[in-house]
Amino acid sequence: MERSSRTFVILLTIPAALFFLVFFTYPVLLLVYNSLFDVSLLALQNRKFVGLENYADILTSAQTIKLFSQTLQFTAITLGSEFILGFIAALTFNAIGRKSEVLRTMFLFPLMVAPIVAGLLWRFMLIDNFGILNHILTGLGLIQRTADIAWLSNPKIVLLSVALPDIWLTTCFVTLILYTGLQNIPGEIMEAARIDGANALQTFWSITVPLLRPVIAAVIILRGIDAARTFDSIWIMTGGGPMGRSEVLSLRIYLTMIRFGRFGDASALATVFLVVLLILCLIAFYTIWKPDISKR
Amino acid sequence: MKNKHFIHRVLIAAALVILALYIFPYLYMVLTSFKPPNDVLSIPPTFLPKQFDLKNYLQIGDYAYIPKTFLNSLVIALLSSTFTLILAVPAAYAVTRFNTRYGRVFLVGTLVARMIPYISVAVPLFFIMKNFKLIDNYIAVAIGHMTISLPLAIWLLSSFFEGIPVELEEAARVDGCARFEAFLKVIVPISLGGIAVTAIFSFLASWNDFLFSLLLTSTNTKTAPLAIAEFNSQYGTVWGTMTALATLFSLPVIFVSFFLQRRIVAGATMGAIKG
Repeated sequence: MERSSRTFVILLTIPAALFFLVFFTYPVLLLVYNSLFDVSLLALQNRKFVGLENYADILTSAQTIKLFSQTLQFTAITLGSEFILGFIAALTFNAIGRKSEVLRTMFLFPLMVAPIVAGLLWRFMLIDNFGILNHILTGLGLIQRTADIAWLSNPKIVLLSVALPDIWLTTCFVTLILYTGLQNIPGEIMEAARIDGANALQTFWSITVPLLRPVIAAVIILRGIDAARTFDSIWIMTGGGPMGRSEVLSLRIYLTMIRFGRFGDASALATVFLVVLLILCLIAFYTIWKPDISKR
Repeated sequence: MKNKHFIHRVLIAAALVILALYIFPYLYMVLTSFKPPNDVLSIPPTFLPKQFDLKNYLQIGDYAYIPKTFLNSLVIALLSSTFTLILAVPAAYAVTRFNTRYGRVFLVGTLVARMIPYISVAVPLFFIMKNFKLIDNYIAVAIGHMTISLPLAIWLLSSFFEGIPVELEEAARVDGCARFEAFLKVIVPISLGGIAVTAIFSFLASWNDFLFSLLLTSTNTKTAPLAIAEFNSQYGTVWGTMTALATLFSLPVIFVSFFLQRRIVAGATMGAIKG
């Protein structure tokens, strides 16, 4: 590599690199530093060094396990649902072929909708007695009375309810990516399989899925990260309730800081969240995705 | 052959059903915003308005601060997406075109930045901005939004620059262009498509954000999503006004996006497919 190239690269990347240093690296280091103190939001300067005490609190609290498990459940529900729904939609569009373009275009509109708006409209559809969803379910004879399913106040199902906006918002993205992946599979391979006498299901499992593997991995990682750090839609739907049963990590960190004013504890929990998510991502990234960057 | 034709029709019918179900929630919200305020929460709920009414929209006028929040959203989204592009275009180009060790480290760093939970950046950023008395300043929120859009932009642009032939730039250099000149005069003009895609996604990241705005703004720079969300508690959930506001906030973006559909499809797939 000639030296002038190296200087050129450094010159062009310096502004962005500085931004990352000042507004990414420094804040993250500050986060870790703050997590070692007992800081109240009302008196930020008035801090007391407590070492790893905030972490000890997190590790010994029964709440923590519940919080991590709920975040994981939320991610699994969201990812699983949008993956299955997205695959069905993508296969349907793919079977229709190029004529599906108008349909596909219309299908993509939630990509532009803000999560806060999605949360709001789903909350509107799920309000106990007024919600149109229960009204429809009653009409179909699936439930007796509109009060039978308390989407937002039954602690047992609330985590599923708050996942609905997210599933609705991003199924279109999953569909788009899977559809593009399907389109990239050469027609001859499918043709050859058919000539060899493979049925639709066999073709799907032994040709489509393996060839789509990189695309599937990308979807799982990208969407998994987003689902794990969801805040907006849950905030607007339930605020984490009832009884904290729809609380996920992002929400709890925010509440710890703003509502309870415990800045040090919030920082410690945010640090733990960051480390766990990053480790999971890097493992997933290098084992199942392996994009070009790791080979270069 | 007739059989195949039939299957095709069934598939299109299936796709139409999927599409109708998918559009239903949003359409329901838009239609609700045009109901008379007293019909918004009716038992039983109706899908179509019994009569078309603009009262929910007119009621927005009672809250004089609302137009300002929309303006704030626009200013912040333009600020953050402009600066994102200024920083991301040269950086993405440099690390994609020249294979240096530093460039690889930079790209991995960008990738890690994309994986970090927003809240873990927002919490210390709130602390920093509070110390510098920058809370409720456009700059603070714009920076907050850039922490989302910059990693995304570099990622999108670098997969775009990969597709541009090296020869183009070499030809410019033979003609006596300096490196940076070649970048500005040759590469940037032919990359406008990819830059436009990135601009759209950066703009949307800011326009649709809630968390950073929640932490970094107050009365002066409050963004529209915050104003909409406040109706949830402050005024005992005024559903009519809220659906009207949410429609005003999201429908123009959806409308514009239909004209930019090809770019948006390109952007959404670029990050994932090419990796």
